[in-house]
Amino acid sequence: MPGSWGGTLWENSGRDGESDMPVRVIGLSGSPHRHGNTERLLDAFLAGAEEGGGDVEKVVLKDLSYTPCRGCNACHKTGECIVRDDAIPLFDRILSSDCLAVASPIYSMGITAELKGLIDRAQFLWARKFILKTMYFSDDHVRRHKGIFISTAGLSWDNVFDAAFPAVTAFFNTLGFEYYDNIIANNMDQYGGIQGHPTALAEARKKGLSVVGVIRKLKGDS
Amino acid sequence: MEIKVLAFAGSPRRGGNSETLLDWVISAMEQEGGVAIEKVALTEANVNPCRGCNACEKLNKCVQRDGMDYLHDRIIDADCIILSAPIYCMGICAQAKALIDRFQVFRSRKYVLKLPIVPPERKGTRMGVFLSTAGQKWDHVFDGAVPSVKCFFHVVDIPDRDIRYLMVNGVDEKGAILSHPTAERDAGQLGRDVVGELRKRRGE
Repeated sequence: MPGSWGGTLWENSGRDGESDMPVRVIGLSGSPHRHGNTERLLDAFLAGAEEGGGDVEKVVLKDLSYTPCRGCNACHKTGECIVRDDAIPLFDRILSSDCLAVASPIYSMGITAELKGLIDRAQFLWARKFILKTMYFSDDHVRRHKGIFISTAGLSWDNVFDAAFPAVTAFFNTLGFEYYDNIIANNMDQYGGIQGHPTALAEARKKGLSVVGVIRKLKGDS
Repeated sequence: MEIKVLAFAGSPRRGGNSETLLDWVISAMEQEGGVAIEKVALTEANVNPCRGCNACEKLNKCVQRDGMDYLHDRIIDADCIILSAPIYCMGICAQAKALIDRFQVFRSRKYVLKLPIVPPERKGTRMGVFLSTAGQKWDHVFDGAVPSVKCFFHVVDIPDRDIRYLMVNGVDEKGAILSHPTAERDAGQLGRDVVGELRKRRGE
């Protein structure tokens, strides 16, 4: 039954060719504004993922205590971050997830400082991967781990998300997730918020449902 | 009257590559004479991120009481605003993004409340400079940062034509910029050019 076996590790789903392992989905809400347009779009995605049988967790970044990267480059030698705060266990949880949804509204043509602060803190993992070469993701691993960017913007401009993509791409790449899809909606000011948008919430839910199925299939094949 | 320059060192790493670039620019400006420079390191400025509450759209001020209280009038009074910041993970570092997002109060003033940012006689006399460094050598490494930097300047009445850029890629470890073939010369030239342009605009 969808939604009932998410937390039960070894229960057989009973479907041939599909994995018995739960599909773990983690959603990061990078908005300082609780229950705003972006977080509601993330919620719709996560609801769809749960409906699809995913084991779903939402993390509200503003409730965590972490500081931005200090740029000290100590991790380039050790592979460890010298700053011990909430970011470190969060990265452990992200790395044990099958699907990473990263949500941020667009502020000043970019992602929020909160989300950028977390992305910059992934530097120690970047160092493990590219400098120390102690962390490696096979092509198959990356294919089975899906990253999704969720965003809203007040402005109607078509290019309003463009400057956000490079940092999100770098984040997924460092963490071993394939940049699978965007769930983005602009022109929020005109629509009077996400609830006024004709398709965004339904589309987010559908994509959540669908990605869990895709990952489950890939896990079954591996 | 002195030319007022407000220079932000946006990097969490003091004395690193982007701040060195900034120091070269401001030292060239100082040598031109008649320039008053205030340098602000964001590591000491106590500027918190924007909370996205949109209260400034009604109040014409920010509800947060922090280092922006000190900076607000200086941002308006400056003839030239310089922002220096490194690229981290293909975007501007989070500390500088926090400052950029706090300019929301100016955006609300300008575009929502339709109030002036600077008095009419000062419009078109201000300039902005963005200085950046990146470890990666890719040409597109600054692409994610520039649109946010443009917002930062636009909302304080510094349009595209009045923004100057010096962005140096391929410098990672602290001090790497010291051995860059052109960065110091380009920074000095930029500083002198901007002071010359500001003087011209004042009719001096």
